[in-house]
Amino acid sequence: MHVNYWKELNKDRLGRKGLYMVALLGVVAAGAGWLAPHDPFAYVAPPLSAPSWSHPLGTNEVGQDIFSELLYGARTTLLVGSAAALFSTFFSLLLGLLAGLFRGWVERVLLRLVDVMLVIPVFLLALLVAAYVQPGEVTLVVLFAFLLWPPGARIIWAQVLSLRSQGHVAAARHFGAGTGYVALRHLVPELYPLLAVNFIQVVRRAVFMEAGMAFLGVFDPSQKSWGLMLHYARDFMFTDAWLWWLLPSALAISFTIIAFALVGYALEAALDPRLRRQTYVGN
Amino acid sequence: MLEIEGLTVEFLSQQHTHHSHSNLKVLDRVSLTVQKGEKWGIVGESGSGKSTLALTLMGMTQQSGIITGSVKFHGEELLDKTPDQWEKLRGSVISMVMQQSGEMLTPTLPLLEQVMEPYLKMYPGHKEQARISAGQFLERVGLNPSFFYRYPFTMSGGEVQRALLAMALITEPELLILDEPVSSLDARTKADILDLLEEVTAGCTVLVISHDLQSVTRLADRTAVLYCGAILETGQTKECLQEPAHPYTRALVRAYPTLEGTRELQGIRGEFPPLDQRPGGCPFHPRCTQALEICGRKRPELTGIGTNKQRLLSCHRGGVVELLRCEQVIQRYSLSGRAGRNYLSSTPAGGKDKKKARKEASRYLEAVRGVSLSLREGEVYALVGESGSGKSTLGRILAGVDRPYQGTVFFQGQSLGRMEAKEQKELNRNLQMLFQNSGEALSHRFNVYDLVVEPLQIQKIGDRESQKEAVLRSLEWVNLPTSEHFLHEYPHHLSGGELQRVALARALVMEPKVLVADEPSASLDASVQAKVIKLLLHLQNERGFALFLITHDLALAAKAGDRIGVMQQGCIVEEGPASRVIHDPQHPYTRSLLGWPGQNNSRVFPGKLERQMLLQD
Repeated sequence: MHVNYWKELNKDRLGRKGLYMVALLGVVAAGAGWLAPHDPFAYVAPPLSAPSWSHPLGTNEVGQDIFSELLYGARTTLLVGSAAALFSTFFSLLLGLLAGLFRGWVERVLLRLVDVMLVIPVFLLALLVAAYVQPGEVTLVVLFAFLLWPPGARIIWAQVLSLRSQGHVAAARHFGAGTGYVALRHLVPELYPLLAVNFIQVVRRAVFMEAGMAFLGVFDPSQKSWGLMLHYARDFMFTDAWLWWLLPSALAISFTIIAFALVGYALEAALDPRLRRQTYVGN
Repeated sequence: MLEIEGLTVEFLSQQHTHHSHSNLKVLDRVSLTVQKGEKWGIVGESGSGKSTLALTLMGMTQQSGIITGSVKFHGEELLDKTPDQWEKLRGSVISMVMQQSGEMLTPTLPLLEQVMEPYLKMYPGHKEQARISAGQFLERVGLNPSFFYRYPFTMSGGEVQRALLAMALITEPELLILDEPVSSLDARTKADILDLLEEVTAGCTVLVISHDLQSVTRLADRTAVLYCGAILETGQTKECLQEPAHPYTRALVRAYPTLEGTRELQGIRGEFPPLDQRPGGCPFHPRCTQALEICGRKRPELTGIGTNKQRLLSCHRGGVVELLRCEQVIQRYSLSGRAGRNYLSSTPAGGKDKKKARKEASRYLEAVRGVSLSLREGEVYALVGESGSGKSTLGRILAGVDRPYQGTVFFQGQSLGRMEAKEQKELNRNLQMLFQNSGEALSHRFNVYDLVVEPLQIQKIGDRESQKEAVLRSLEWVNLPTSEHFLHEYPHHLSGGELQRVALARALVMEPKVLVADEPSASLDASVQAKVIKLLLHLQNERGFALFLITHDLALAAKAGDRIGVMQQGCIVEEGPASRVIHDPQHPYTRSLLGWPGQNNSRVFPGKLERQMLLQD
């Protein structure tokens, strides 16, 4: 029962790589200030310079160092992704618990809400809302938090239903425990692994959505973001600049999404004993 | 005929210089009425004052003791009699067969002359008559003429006992007192003497004093239970010993070995108090598991209980308390949905009407169909039955884990469903359940300490330190280590037996009154099972809590249970004292469980030899 997730992840070949990738992203995002050769907001060279020793990826159309932009972009991406995932996972947990613990109308209302939310194309809705409020990081986080909780909530609700019929929950209730105690001491700890997987998946989705929206220009242009870089680079497809401008940012986005996907899958495999056995064989 | 009223006997203590309170109270306000022709048994542990009572009735405590109260014989006060008057009464109107009988005969006189002695005292000078009479009585007690001129030291214990009986009977007394008539004899002689006593005492008024319940059951119709010089309970012997009302009587019965009894013997908890430290109030209260504050303060009066008030009981709590009772409990589960349809289609269908009726009836699965039972303080109720008979369902309802569809469960007279918050809290503390699958009932994310302390934390009992103490004590009870290392173990590090005991420790940490244990030992090997069951019984004895034991193992039920209930298809088909159910089962289902022949219980698996023969054919 006690699975050391860290160990499991490490055992999984792809999961380990995913972890390294996420770690690398983390280091880059945290250390952008030291790693970047230039201030990404400063005009340091003639616009659209080709890569050189001082500017490894050249400069953009206003003369900012692209390599530094790329490093700072990791910061935005990770921040938006993890904050959105944190809040949305929290909502998932809260609403899933409520639906699972208070059967009856609470459950019915919440589940129908989830159904409705699942039907709505989230990305379009996000675009629509964002088109009205030129969004910065905070707005995006709030938006994503409110849009990305339903799948997690539904999974948690189902898990709560199965957990609440377990012996130790019945025992705790028999000792006179209230709903709050049962939820905090018995249910939430059992949900940790589910929450972790959910978190990783939502990070992945949020990163993708953030990039997509920025690419479509619905993002605060004063921020540094890989999506925005794509957005601006698109206008210069006719030059060679896309090679060191568009391509690196696109690759960075892919890298991030792949990293989180790998960790997510490995975590899921660690949770599900049936999947876990397969990874042992593959090792 | 004999009326004892508030009889108190005290002796001056030998060491009264050391103690300010120097008197030893041996009898305390004993009241007993004996009608002519009645046979009374006085039972109690050694030191309870039985012999003092007998000696007082014989007028033999007057010199050494301080006696108050009254003893009336045919309306005549005996306590006022002078030693001379006593001398006349003794051995003629009231006679007694003494304890330790071997020392009661003079070694220098032949038997016949000794037996003549009381007769001669009553009718001085009638020597020839006495000789004839003595011979008659000796033959009546089974001693033929070859014994008449033997000396006591050439006779066996049984023969001496017979001779003493002849001696006591020769004057044809109105009241015969037998003090431990058979306790020092071997089983064979004992049986003979009991037969003899039954025969010769027919029609007499007899007082049998014994700690041996078997002889009292044989000889007495009525019994008084004496403890520390106080009568705790009186009544018909059968009722008294089969359905003891007083906790002490029950403990006494439990401690007594019988051939019929199936239950393990249990000593009475605590120690018999020394005479100079006689407890105040109800004398049994320090050893009683249901004692209240009042029990230590005030001596309860003997009051009539039962329908005809024939039975007298001295207990503030009205005898053994009923803790848990359920009435007409029905539990049913809906069979709608796919599972239900599968179940319905699998049941064979008859005619059209039948089909309809069956469909109506089987829309619900009735797991428990109208069960009523009660569980008393300190009692073990063993519920047996095969799997699927509704045992666990009933257990969960009794423990208040599940609500019944119909019917009520009462805990100390209060309905389980309708309780105030405060009472509910009390209930959660006092009524505990040991779940069937302890591995599942223990969260794998808690370590041993967290698991055991959880009920205390939920109930907010005590501070951190007292909680820790309670946890350690509880773990000690169940024989688990109390080291820091063990406290930090997680369930998956423990064996099945250890898990079961951790679950038990958790159930006991709040010191509940009632424990509903669902197959507490089913998943354990025999040795650990024995330990767990022994432990439960020990705690039950020490702490007086009642145990509702659910098991499919009849042998276990017989070893552990006071009462056994047999459950079949949601009904209790038989219920009674464990020994009765085991030795004299009434219901065919019980018989088949016990493997009685002719109960459609043919061996399912042929033996090895039979199998080989089958193969050869």
